[in-house]
Amino acid sequence: MSRRSGFLFVAPALLLFGIFVLYPMASALSYAFFAWQGTTRGGFVGLENFVALFTQEPFTTQLPRAFGHNIAFFVGTMLIQNTLGLGIAVLLHKRARTRRMLQTLYAMPYLVSPIVIGYLWTLLLSPTFGPVNALLRKVGLDSLALPWLGDPSTALWVVVLVSAWQWVGFPVLLYGAALGGVPEELSEAARVDGASHWQTFRSIVFPLLVPAIGTVSILTFIFAMEAFALPYALGGSTGSPAGATDFISLLFYRTAFENGSTNAIGISSAIAALLFLVIFGGAVVATRVLRRHQDRVAA
Amino acid sequence: MTNKSRRHLAALTVTSAMVALAACSPSSSGGSGGSGDAKNVTLSVYSWRTEDVAAYNAIFDVYTKAHPGTKVDFKAFKNTEYNLKLTTDLTGSKGPDVVQVRSYGQLQPTIASKSLLPLDDVVDLSKWDANVVKSAKGKADGKLYAVPLAQQTLQMYYNKDLFAKNKLTPPTTWAEFIAVNDTLKKAGVVPMAVGAKDDWTLPMLHQVLAAPRFGASAFETAVMTGKKTFNDPDWVASVDVVKQLQPYLPESVVGVAYTDAQILFTSGKAAMFPGGSFELGFFQKQNPELNMGVFQVPAPVGSPSMDPTTTGYADGAFGISAKSDAQDASKELVKWMATKEFGQLVADKVKQLSAVPGVSYSDPLLQQMSENYTKNPTPYLLLVDFRYGLPSGSVLLGTGVQEMLLGKKDAAKVSTDLQTGVSQWFKPTT
Repeated sequence: MSRRSGFLFVAPALLLFGIFVLYPMASALSYAFFAWQGTTRGGFVGLENFVALFTQEPFTTQLPRAFGHNIAFFVGTMLIQNTLGLGIAVLLHKRARTRRMLQTLYAMPYLVSPIVIGYLWTLLLSPTFGPVNALLRKVGLDSLALPWLGDPSTALWVVVLVSAWQWVGFPVLLYGAALGGVPEELSEAARVDGASHWQTFRSIVFPLLVPAIGTVSILTFIFAMEAFALPYALGGSTGSPAGATDFISLLFYRTAFENGSTNAIGISSAIAALLFLVIFGGAVVATRVLRRHQDRVAA
Repeated sequence: MTNKSRRHLAALTVTSAMVALAACSPSSSGGSGGSGDAKNVTLSVYSWRTEDVAAYNAIFDVYTKAHPGTKVDFKAFKNTEYNLKLTTDLTGSKGPDVVQVRSYGQLQPTIASKSLLPLDDVVDLSKWDANVVKSAKGKADGKLYAVPLAQQTLQMYYNKDLFAKNKLTPPTTWAEFIAVNDTLKKAGVVPMAVGAKDDWTLPMLHQVLAAPRFGASAFETAVMTGKKTFNDPDWVASVDVVKQLQPYLPESVVGVAYTDAQILFTSGKAAMFPGGSFELGFFQKQNPELNMGVFQVPAPVGSPSMDPTTTGYADGAFGISAKSDAQDASKELVKWMATKEFGQLVADKVKQLSAVPGVSYSDPLLQQMSENYTKNPTPYLLLVDFRYGLPSGSVLLGTGVQEMLLGKKDAAKVSTDLQTGVSQWFKPTT
């Protein structure tokens, strides 16, 4: 088949991709380089909107703060959700009969919208009516009956934990599939040679899981950088309390839709473009690093 | 990982990131527009009040009966999606004719994109409350772009039965107000239901408790003309009033959501609720047995003026799309919206405070709120004057008060941060 006829075959898909993904993306990017009067595009201003993000209040304080929270959310999710997910997947792998059912059960919460989950947990954790604190008080753990979402030192971690609660089924499924791909003979051979369970896992299973771990990590990174619905439901658009659960998407939302400034579209597009660069760049770098690391582990 | 799956991974990464970005770009969609010749016109009217569709249809029926040939097609969209819908449809040629628009700062982007017709020659609102009219004006050119529809007032609600049980009456001095709070607290009732987790409620709380302390309308004039700033000792003292009253708010108040506070009040666990006239319908629906009253909080000790006040602001207005192809008929309709007939219909059918002066209310509480406001009006300062830029004054004060209630900032620091923040875009007129 010639190159040209090959192109003809992919043209319909390319066209659709261009119209529905590339074009809106490029136009959204271009908005960041113009001054706006409401929805009317004004003159080209170059990087002015981006400069404003780094020189003007409230962005100079809120952008780094929000970015820090996104990073903390990523790290927390990696440590809690994905570690727990791997553990559960390994344990489930040994239970051939109930595995399917349990995997489904673990995956249930992520079928529910994060907005619903967020409001649900807000009710559960409410210091006035919430059953969580009532339960803690009943069993004598009064000191733990905290205003979980009302204290800046706990609020962000509540977001991480609720998110982990909702999404833990996702790494369980991915790791479950990857574990299914690890040839049984290898583990058997190791056991015949007298390796313990832990040794088998550490030296045989884990290295073979590295590609899956890489996929999960990068998806988690993108997920954490884009986090919007759950933080919005738990802390509102300002990241209550006092910005302790502010994320970049929330800052974008506030700038774009809750703003009396007429250049809202320009500045918020600059935030969106920046967020895109961080996610894209971060994901590319992470892919590179993981690939190198993976070759080393696999070698 | 094989080469193929690596490429898959890379492709997946790129597309996810792209989708994230594409989701941020506004898209355009058509809307159905007003059409027809001069005699037979259908005006398409947009609103975000999905809960009031029946009421508005009844209101416009009155209009169409008196104006044969004109039909009104009232369409309501979800509140949270309305801004986006309006932005896209006003740019298209087949958009609506008459649109409900936001007030004050949130109206400015719509005006700046030249989507609305100036109405200075169409209606005369010179007899209206200046605070309310300001909500529909362009900040940059001072022109009128819409006819205000509803207004809200802020005051203290109280549970009459709980007050009677504890032998209390609405306080008339600050000392009495504190005594009322003390008595209620001793009786095991939460004195004031406040949900400080939702920071947007806090500038309202500040306004209800302490508007006289910073000087109410007199302070507004002073701050707008640059004679005073938010570092003014009276302003700082007014923010501190909220801190002093913290013992009378629910425990760990910054963790209490606004909806929790509403339930505290309607279930009789709290005796007072500082809130807006917009709460009334919800309270009545939530607990029809609830025996409610409203009062103006007396002026705190040391206030520049000892008159209690009721805070008010406009909430929504109707304007005409600049792209409408039925402008004459639209102007007629909007003119009618500035009449007492329309105002009374809004009061009766939508059960809101109308922006039109001189309207009366069948609900005694709405009537009382309206009278209180007419007697001692003061603007909701942060909403009326400080939402025209980023950072918005309401957000600064809201999150600042949260930090104050958490013990991380004092009133002076909250005020300084407010001043620093708004001076990014606010320039006083000298």
